[in-house]
Amino acid sequence: MRRLPALFCAVVLSACGGGGDGANRRTIIDSRDQYDPRSLDPALSTDVPTGRAVGYLFDGLTRFTPDAKVSPALATSWDVSPEGSVYTFHLRRGVSFTDGTPFVARQVALSWQRVLDPKVKGGRGWPLYPIKGAKEFADGKTTSIEGLSAPNDSTVVVTLKEPFAIFPKLLAMPVASIAPDRVGPNFGENPIGTGPWKLVEWKHDDYLLFSPNKNYWGGAPKADSLKARIIAEPSTAVAEFESSNVDVLQIPQGDIRSWEEDTERRKLLASTPSLELVYVAINTTRGPLKDVRVRQALNHAIDRRVLVRNLIAGRGELASGVVPPELPGGDKTRIGYQFDTLRAKQLLRDAGYPNGIDVDLWTSTNPIYVRIAETLQGYLALSGIRVKIVQRESAAAREAARKGQTDLFVKDWYADYPDAENFLYPLLHSANKGVGGNVSYFSNAQFDSLVTLARREQDEVKRVALYKQADELAFHEAPMIFLYFYNELYAVQSWIKGFVPPVIFNGQSWTTVTKTSSAKKTP
Amino acid sequence: MSAFIVRRLLLSIPTLFGVLLVAFLLLYVAPGDPVQAMVGERADEATIARLRKELRLDDPLPVQFGHYLAGIVKGDLGKSYITNRPIKKDIIERFPKTLQLAGAAMLLATILGVTLGVLSARNPGGLIDRLGLGVAYLGISFPVYWVGLLLILLFAVTLHWLPPSGFGGLRYLVLPALALGMRSIAFLARMTRSAMLDALSADYVRTARAKGLPELLVVGRHALRNAMIPIITVLGLDFGAYLTGSILTETIFSWPGLGRYVVNAIARRDLPAIQGSVLFLSAVFVLVNLITDIAYAKADPRVTYS
Repeated sequence: MRRLPALFCAVVLSACGGGGDGANRRTIIDSRDQYDPRSLDPALSTDVPTGRAVGYLFDGLTRFTPDAKVSPALATSWDVSPEGSVYTFHLRRGVSFTDGTPFVARQVALSWQRVLDPKVKGGRGWPLYPIKGAKEFADGKTTSIEGLSAPNDSTVVVTLKEPFAIFPKLLAMPVASIAPDRVGPNFGENPIGTGPWKLVEWKHDDYLLFSPNKNYWGGAPKADSLKARIIAEPSTAVAEFESSNVDVLQIPQGDIRSWEEDTERRKLLASTPSLELVYVAINTTRGPLKDVRVRQALNHAIDRRVLVRNLIAGRGELASGVVPPELPGGDKTRIGYQFDTLRAKQLLRDAGYPNGIDVDLWTSTNPIYVRIAETLQGYLALSGIRVKIVQRESAAAREAARKGQTDLFVKDWYADYPDAENFLYPLLHSANKGVGGNVSYFSNAQFDSLVTLARREQDEVKRVALYKQADELAFHEAPMIFLYFYNELYAVQSWIKGFVPPVIFNGQSWTTVTKTSSAKKTP
Repeated sequence: MSAFIVRRLLLSIPTLFGVLLVAFLLLYVAPGDPVQAMVGERADEATIARLRKELRLDDPLPVQFGHYLAGIVKGDLGKSYITNRPIKKDIIERFPKTLQLAGAAMLLATILGVTLGVLSARNPGGLIDRLGLGVAYLGISFPVYWVGLLLILLFAVTLHWLPPSGFGGLRYLVLPALALGMRSIAFLARMTRSAMLDALSADYVRTARAKGLPELLVVGRHALRNAMIPIITVLGLDFGAYLTGSILTETIFSWPGLGRYVVNAIARRDLPAIQGSVLFLSAVFVLVNLITDIAYAKADPRVTYS
């Protein structure tokens, strides 16, 4: 009787082929996408699955390496005018689209025009707004972009509105990728690019299958094919990984401990700082929160160490500023707000609230944020800050925060490009209040001018110094409860070689990743 | 009969119009702006205003509704705000997959549920009856989400018999169909049991036995046929419900059906996609109900429609 299940298993396995033949499978399978891409048209890449797929199929003038360096892509080099506002990009020669059309400078201009064209309804023009006349074109006031020209097939000249030293970094974003001259109405389904992969098929809500672009200028991908499966439920992705049906898994934030404490599973883990700040935006225009002392009290009232240890198994660096410590401008030496209930109460008294305050704390239904909110509620109560948790579906919560209707809002911010500016400017510059990303409604003239100066500064050392000053100022003004920078955790099957977890979401193009067929099966 | 069908189909038009109107109004008052969902994390007011205008979201409500209705009448469900793809194409692509899952779940439910019910009724209080009761309790009280994950853990991760998720051949269908049909199996088993108990104690069954009919014919033709009405009711209602979105099952098993499509559309506030799906699914529901009513007449000659 004992042997029956094993026997039955063997029979069924041979009959229907079960799961678990991961090492012999030739396709590399990724499990990170949780929903169907919006489109495969670069001009519509406003979400993560879209951006990732666009990154496989297309190239920009620059690209990110997995460790978040910016390297040349379709542009081999660029010159910057002395005052920093004219960029001359020298394009790679001999590159073709997968349909054979040669890549020329004209396509750069056309692609960016499409991104900005109101009729395309993309909605993400901002990475190109630094170009002179881009905003006017996007608003329908002009019919061409003044600062964009292609004097010959291998040169693109971009004139910026004002000097912006990190502009080449923005060009590695998926939205700035280059498409061919003619883009048909079905381009989003049948994309043609110069990227390392070609689209074989896209089964909506199921998977995207890619095959190598044998003529890729950067060297054809080594793997036979790449499949991006779309798996909505994180537990299912884990099950697929355990069944050896997928090769790479992004570990859900709440599951970290069970992976780290299992000796077998632990061998498969790979970690990377993900340039993701998890924080609580404090709306600096509402009631008691206008007072910096109250905002500092909120920061002192919580024990982030315990929160990070218990909720995400210690996989976060405590934040003492908005700039991740991995980026130039991030300050590793700054000492963050310490958990000090007495100090928090004192600050509240000084601000004129001896009996504490009442605030709403908004969160989406994301389980980890709900847990953070509940933890914070408990801590804040110790200092007399009475919190009402308001839980809404994520689109509704975000919209309320953007409209300035939330006191406190638990959220995160991922870098689109590896630069301190990507945190300081959208999150806290007064030009970005509301929909721009500054849901703290923080408005500080000195901070604004520091960030504005930094954006214009050509000298890297000086720019980083300005970032540091701005970050320091933000830290003391406390327009948020600084929580942590999350370190992303991946599990990678033992037969996968060469996979480096990307710091930026579109930083891994799988060109050098291989599968070894001799690898042992995971138990 | 055909006059009945035509009348019912005509009656479904105002029903669907009502559904459409309610869906439209609900989406209008619900928080969440489609354009905000479109533009992602970082945007500017000018872009948002431009897109709102482009999508006619700033038109007065009756104008928006009229515009939408005009499209529907022409058979055009519009284009998704988010993907720019025609909604009709999206639905045509996904509905067969939902139909397949719902069909498989109903098939499992009918075979397992009715069999279990008949066998239980044959010997009330016996081993099978008690086992059936246990199955029914579990099936009705376990949430589908949990059952789904347990099935994956057992049959995919531990035993490696079946794939954990995805869409493909028959073996991809087994677990989601079982998870989805679980409740119906339980319900049908109990329903069939009590209907069969009534039928088996009826005079005509005694007569059938007395005239020496084989037991299989007694139970199968005489008793079961008369116990069909409640079974059809359950089947019809459940089938309608499964077709209109087995959202949880599709999500857990990464099944690329209509349920997930609707959930994604809601999360992204893709109004045309939500409205188009709601309209389509309501039509399906109305149709399934109609078929159920017709099936009553087939099962029981005393039921007539005119």
